[in-house]
Amino acid sequence: MLTRLVLIFLGAVLVNNFVLRYFLGICPFLGVTGRVESATAMGFATTFVMTITAAVVWIINTFIIRGLNLPFLEYVSDILVIASLVQLIEMFVRKTNPSLYRALGIYLPLITTNCSILFLALFIPLRNYSFIESIVFGFGAGMGFTFVMLLMSAIREELDFAEVPKSLRGAPITLITAGLLALVFMGFTGLIGTA
Amino acid sequence: MSLVLLAITSMGALSAFFAIMLSVAHNKFKVEEDPRVERILAELPGANCGACGFASCRALAEAIVKEGAPTNACVAGGNKVAEKISQIMGVESEAVERKVAFVRCGAGKSQKETKATYRGVETCRAANLVMGADSACSYGCLGFGDCERECPFNAIKMVDGLPQVDFSRCTGCGRCVNVCPRNIIVLEKFDDVNYRVKCLSLDKGKKAREICQKSCIACGRCVKFCPYEACWLENNLAHIDPINCQSCGICYSVCPTGAIVEVKG
Repeated sequence: MLTRLVLIFLGAVLVNNFVLRYFLGICPFLGVTGRVESATAMGFATTFVMTITAAVVWIINTFIIRGLNLPFLEYVSDILVIASLVQLIEMFVRKTNPSLYRALGIYLPLITTNCSILFLALFIPLRNYSFIESIVFGFGAGMGFTFVMLLMSAIREELDFAEVPKSLRGAPITLITAGLLALVFMGFTGLIGTA
Repeated sequence: MSLVLLAITSMGALSAFFAIMLSVAHNKFKVEEDPRVERILAELPGANCGACGFASCRALAEAIVKEGAPTNACVAGGNKVAEKISQIMGVESEAVERKVAFVRCGAGKSQKETKATYRGVETCRAANLVMGADSACSYGCLGFGDCERECPFNAIKMVDGLPQVDFSRCTGCGRCVNVCPRNIIVLEKFDDVNYRVKCLSLDKGKKAREICQKSCIACGRCVKFCPYEACWLENNLAHIDPINCQSCGICYSVCPTGAIVEVKG
């Protein structure tokens, strides 16, 4: 049981990393990774939303979508859950850390439309995870996202001091870096069976 | 029919649950903000240049509203912005003295000697750390354009390795003054016509002349001819006092090296 949870967690963080394996959530991955501090904050905000979404989606899916046989409500209810949670975290960040709130800017409410979260919500019912497994999977996916955000922002902070060829400065070198990171993460394929 | 009812009630219940949760959270995390902060922020230039002494335009707006900072604190915005902010705050507006950035070096790449070949990081700050890179003059502009990159108003353009200040855009925020490792940029009062010594070299006349065509050689002609006693020599360098200067232009016309320049607004 515990081994399975660990495997699900590691699988979500490394092997099936949402950003570098499925290419989901690229928008904040490129937009907020300018500085390590805001990138990590964004990562943890997304992790929070993902973990709670995983739990709530599992409940809704088991007791309403499947329990009452209303499969057409899946997308609507998922969006409802995600949007409410993002609203909640936006209020929380605004109250507790106004400068972080301004640093994240539009990307904070845009967690709503972060495709990795909708992917998570749609993915959990497909894998027939139990309640605990769903939460671990959601948390793992969030931590994977945070991990990649941290890597990318650390590299980009170093890149500021590097002598990049003029034609590659700015967006091009960022995209090349992202591509190389994705290549690196391909190395984790097959690390944990099919988890 | 029952399916529709089921869907409506289940979604309704879900929505109601989240609505209640959000309203509770809203009451708990409510942030009260003075609407004047937003209005002042809209008037400020938004360059976050820091000339006012606050970290950002927002910080200044909050300081004006909450801590009673002066309404003319924004140097970059000038009189226009000070007036608008005073209107919002309902106080009398006070004038802002216009200052702009002057570059105190007049020698472009082609007008001064080099002493070495520099292949390091292409910023003034890095070049200054290694004995001033290739520049033979140890006082003048290094020409890597740190000031151009720093300027939030695009007022500085590098021409022949020397910063050219566009006075119609310069707001006198002083970012370039802080970033220049050789301190050759100064903020000064700005009139219609200004005469300035565009050199900071303290080298003796002969040496200065050897390495730079535009250097002040401390010949003293400006001091001799100035009718208002606004020029003086100090450490092999001519100075002009902008307060005593009456903008007659005699120093400019007698300077043999062209170190004194005429700056028109």
